Amino acid sequence: MTRKKHRRESTLEFLCTVPALILIVVLTYYPIADLVRISLTDWNLIKPTYSYVGLKNWQWLVTTIKQNHVLDSFIITLKYTIGHMLIILVFGLLLALLFNRMSKGFAFMRSVVFMPHYIAMSTAALIFSVILNERFGIANAVAEAVAGVRIPWLSSGSVALLVMIMIASWRAVGYDMIIFLSGMQGISKDYYEAAMLDGASKPKILLKITLPLLAPTTLFLAVTQFIASMKVYALADVLTGGGPYRETEVIVYMIYELAFRDFRIDRAAVVSICFFVFLLIVTKLTMGVSDRKVNYDA
Amino acid sequence: MMHNRKRTHSSADPSLAESKKSARKKVLLRTAQTILALLVVLAMAFPLYWMFITSLKTDLEMYEVVPTIWPASGLHWENYLTALTRVPLLKYTLNTVVMTFWQLFLQLTTGILAAYGFARGRFKFRNTLFVLVLGALMIPQQVTFVPIYVMIANLDWIDTMAGLVFPGAVSAYMIFMLRQNFMSVDQSYLDAGRVDGLGIIGTLRHVLVPMCRSSIVTVALVTIMDGWNNYFWPKIISKTDATRVLSVGLVYLKSSWGENEYVAHYNVVMAAVLLSLIPIVVLFFTNQKYMLSGYSKAAMK
Repeated sequence: MTRKKHRRESTLEFLCTVPALILIVVLTYYPIADLVRISLTDWNLIKPTYSYVGLKNWQWLVTTIKQNHVLDSFIITLKYTIGHMLIILVFGLLLALLFNRMSKGFAFMRSVVFMPHYIAMSTAALIFSVILNERFGIANAVAEAVAGVRIPWLSSGSVALLVMIMIASWRAVGYDMIIFLSGMQGISKDYYEAAMLDGASKPKILLKITLPLLAPTTLFLAVTQFIASMKVYALADVLTGGGPYRETEVIVYMIYELAFRDFRIDRAAVVSICFFVFLLIVTKLTMGVSDRKVNYDA
Repeated sequence: MMHNRKRTHSSADPSLAESKKSARKKVLLRTAQTILALLVVLAMAFPLYWMFITSLKTDLEMYEVVPTIWPASGLHWENYLTALTRVPLLKYTLNTVVMTFWQLFLQLTTGILAAYGFARGRFKFRNTLFVLVLGALMIPQQVTFVPIYVMIANLDWIDTMAGLVFPGAVSAYMIFMLRQNFMSVDQSYLDAGRVDGLGIIGTLRHVLVPMCRSSIVTVALVTIMDGWNNYFWPKIISKTDATRVLSVGLVYLKSSWGENEYVAHYNVVMAAVLLSLIPIVVLFFTNQKYMLSGYSKAAMK
C-alpha cells in the first residue's frame, strides 16, 4: 500500500467514527456543559427570558441544605440502592446454586425466574399496585389471615421504600442468577477436581473455590447495577409519587419535579450536577477496587 | 452439580451399603432441590398470575376485601375490549414499535461504523477519541435530561416522534460491545474483502457484519428491550396520544379514571398490561438463546 493510499484509508476509518462521536458529544458532553451554564442562571421554564445570576443556585443548595431535601433524596436513593443490591446479589447467587442443573425442566424454570426482567419497571409498579392495594390487595388479605394485621404498604415511608426495593429485586434477581450461572460455568473444572482429590467437602469447595472465583462476576454486577439502581424513577413516579411526606422521593424524581413541576430548571441543574459528580466518584472508587482486589484467574 | 455426578460414577465404592446410603441421600437432595426450585418459580410467577386473573374479574369482585384467587363470577374477557377502546392502545403499540425501530436503526448504523473505526482504524488519536465513548457509558440520561429537554424544546420537537427518538440515537454500550467483537475478527478476512474490490462499507456489509451476526443480534435485542420498556424519557416528552408509547400509556390508562386509586379500574389496566407484554414474551421465547447468552457475554467482558 502506498503512503498516500494509507492516509486515505485511515481518514475513511476515522470518518466511520464521526457520526457516533458527534451524537455522543451532542447528547452527553454538551448537556453536561449546559448543566453548568443553566445552574448559573435564574431560568424558570414558564418565563420567556432568564439572566445569569452567578452562584445563587449553589448558594441555595448549601444554605438551605436542611430544608431543600437534596441531601435527603440522596440518602433515600442510597438506602434503596444498597438494600436492592444486597438482595439481588445474595439471592441471585443462592438461586444460581439452586437452579444449577442441566435439564429441560430446570431450563424452563430458569426462564420463568428471568421473565420479570423483561417487564418495564413502570409496568411492574402497576402490577404490584394491585397486589399491594391496602384495601383490596391480596397482600393485606394474606397478612391479615396469617398475622392479623393490615400493613400500610405504601402509606408508610419506610415500608414503601422496602416495597420499592422488593419490586425492583423481583425484576432483577433472575438476571443476577443468570450472570452468576454463567460465571460458575466459566470456572475451570481443574479446580474442582483438584479439590476433590484433596478430599474437600462440598460446602468447603463452595466457600473456597466457587465464591472467590465469582468475585469478578460479583464486581461486574455490583458496578453496573449500582448505577442502574441509582437512576430509579418509575417506581417512585407510579407507585408512591415520592410520598408519603417525600419519604420515597429519590434523586431523579426530585430533579424531575424541580424541573417540570416547579419549572425551576436552574435548581434542577444544580442537583443534576451533584448527582453526576456522585456517580463519577463512585465509578472511580469501584474501578480502583476492581484493579487491585479481584482475582481474574477464572 | 455436573461434577458431583461425575464423581459418583467414577469412584466405585467398595462397600455396597455405603454407596446405597449415599445414593439415597443424593436422591433426597435432588428432590429437595426440585421442590425448592418449584416454590421459587411459583413465587416469582405469582405477580404475573395475579395480573392475569385480575384482568378477568368484574369491578365488584376486584374490590372485595378478601380477594378471590380465581374469578368467581366467570371470566370477563370484555375487560380486554375496554382496555383497547378506553385509550388507543394499538396506537401506543405502534408508537412504541416506531420509536424502538428508529432507535435500533440509528444505534446500529452509527454503532457498527464506529465500532469498526475503533477496532480496526489506524488514525491518530484513536484511543483518545475512544475515551469519549467510554466516558459516555458512565453518564446516564437521568443526569443530562434537563439540558436535553431544553435542546429538544429549542428544536420544537416536544411531543413529536423525533423528540422521542433522538436522545436514543446513539449507544456507547453498543459501540463498546461491538468493538470487542470486531477486534476478535481476523484482519485477513477484511483484507480479502478489500482485495475483492469492496469499499469499507461493502466490507462491513458483506464480511464483518455476517461474521459477527450473533453478537449484533444480541446487542440489538438489548436495544429493543430498553426501547420497549423505557419510561423515563417518554414520560418527559409525550404529552398526547400522538406520541404516547406503551409504558407511559399504561400509566395514563390507570390515571384516566382520576387520581383516586379506588376508582381506577385495575382489571382493565391489567388487561392492557397483559396485552402489552405479548410482543415481549414472543420475542423472548423465540430468541431466548441470544438474549440469555448476550447478557452473560456482557458480564464476561
